[in-house]
Amino acid sequence: MPTVHFTDTAGTVRDIEGNVGDSVMETAVRNGVPGIVAECGGSLSCATCHVFVRDDDFAALPPMEDMEDEMLYGTAVDREDNSRLSCQLRLHEGQELHVTTPETQV
Amino acid sequence: MSSPAENAPGCPFGHGAEAPAGHHGYEPFQMKDPFPAYAEMRAEQPLMFDERINYYVATRYDDIKAVFDDWETFSSENAQAPVRERGEAAKKIMLDGGFTAYSGLSARVPPEHTRMRAIVQKAFTPRRYKALEPAIRENVVTRLETMLARPGRDGDMVRDLAYDIPTITILTLIGADTSKIDTYKRWSDSRAAMTWGNLSDEEQVPHAHNLVEYWQECLHLVGAAKESGGDNLTADLVQAQAEGAAISDHEIASVLYSLLFAGHETTTTLISNCVRVLLAHPAQWGQVVADPKKIPAAIDEILRYSGSIVGWRRKALRDTTVGGVDIPQGAGLLLLMGSANRDEARFEDGEAFDISRPNAREHLSFGFGIHYCLGNMLAKLQAKIALEEIVRLAPTLQLVAPESITFRENLSFRVPETVPVTWES
Ligand code: HEM
Ligand code: FES
Repeated sequence: MPTVHFTDTAGTVRDIEGNVGDSVMETAVRNGVPGIVAECGGSLSCATCHVFVRDDDFAALPPMEDMEDEMLYGTAVDREDNSRLSCQLRLHEGQELHVTTPETQV
Repeated sequence: MSSPAENAPGCPFGHGAEAPAGHHGYEPFQMKDPFPAYAEMRAEQPLMFDERINYYVATRYDDIKAVFDDWETFSSENAQAPVRERGEAAKKIMLDGGFTAYSGLSARVPPEHTRMRAIVQKAFTPRRYKALEPAIRENVVTRLETMLARPGRDGDMVRDLAYDIPTITILTLIGADTSKIDTYKRWSDSRAAMTWGNLSDEEQVPHAHNLVEYWQECLHLVGAAKESGGDNLTADLVQAQAEGAAISDHEIASVLYSLLFAGHETTTTLISNCVRVLLAHPAQWGQVVADPKKIPAAIDEILRYSGSIVGWRRKALRDTTVGGVDIPQGAGLLLLMGSANRDEARFEDGEAFDISRPNAREHLSFGFGIHYCLGNMLAKLQAKIALEEIVRLAPTLQLVAPESITFRENLSFRVPETVPVTWES
């Protein structure tokens, strides 16, 4: 089972087991992880599912599509080099992913 | 069409769905204060078949969100269908006028919807509209200063501000003529009335003429962009097509037909409601004046409490159930997001307006899922700029006779027609 480790701005870590094929956003929302809002439910239209990915994990992710890149210009907390929109990150078998949620999503 | 008699108890419309004579006070086209009826439906019949409009009316948050989420069962293909069938005269005018538009995106379904939305979304990015922020702010300030200079100290936030601002923005983004605000508003009013209104055949006639003109202008804008390019969304779509994106001229024109309506109509309402609802709660208005950082949260609460679109439609593609009620294949559903947004099961003390509500943003005023409003961020950006400048320039603003504010008759759009205000000199 893939596991996502969510760290919030206060430093609290939540380790959540996800399902293969689900997005990181879905995994967060289903388990009530705070810090991911996902207003649009994953249709790449709200930029409220922004996460910062730990650098070593970031390098292992599939590259983002143009539209995700564009939407990252609409985040509430400015994007950084390790920013992704979590609705676009699909989990795969055995994956361990470390993400930090921004101070605010709106 | 089924007559009411056919829907009597034991009807084919799903057990427990038939509406009582009073319809819990619900009047589909009356928008002044639909909330008591919403509350009664939520409590007593959260899924009601309304034979007057031939739709199943859903009122609970969880049911509505689940329907939005399940696009494979609930298609949006009826989202732009006229609620009242078009009369013969209107049909003829539209046929003769070459009117072939239906929907840009909202009533298209996958895979067509998926293909087009991806292309349109690329042309409608945060970077593109964030660049407009200074211009939007300047437009807001100019209009507010003009209003505040009036010696009689009487204003109407709809006419004096909310009408123009989003309209100029969308016309600019699309590369349409920004001096034609009144024309586009006239066309948009006709579109709202023809699709979601309750018009007689005769009343439809002038609107049919407007829709013909409107559609011809959309076609013309595509033609012009093909000929002379430009730095705007239309030219971008034409360019994308030239570079191989799978979108036809007719589809681009349809997208413009959609954006030149959706892009301002509901934002005009949002800006009007920002003022109307906040001023009706003076203590919270005071908080926003004192601390403008509270504006984004206030806007989310305004969208929840008083959304611009209170009902949106779906069609069941197979026999299914919603909230425990059987829905037959082919049935239409009217999802009352205006009710979902006040559902106590999701929003504590849901009928109360509270800008510090922690979960206001879970409102469904922009829909949910694959059709989630493409313009949500632009709408909120414009409302934010407007409120920031209003509290800065007019902190003493007050409503005048709010009980006299009228709301346009419509199935889906809840539009205050005026927001009269005054201020201290
Ligand atoms: C307060 C302002 C607005 C409100 C309340 C609003 C509301 C909505 C709603 C309820 C839907 C249907 C969602 C669904 O079926 O799940 C929608 C779709 C849409 N909206 Fe908005 N809207 C607003 C502003 C805008 C703006 C400013 C634009 C464009 C500039 C826009 C463009 C669209 C488009 C293109 C769709 C169809 C998307 C699709 O089907 O994929 N809207 N909007
Ligand atoms: S959930 Fe809206 S962009 Fe990711």
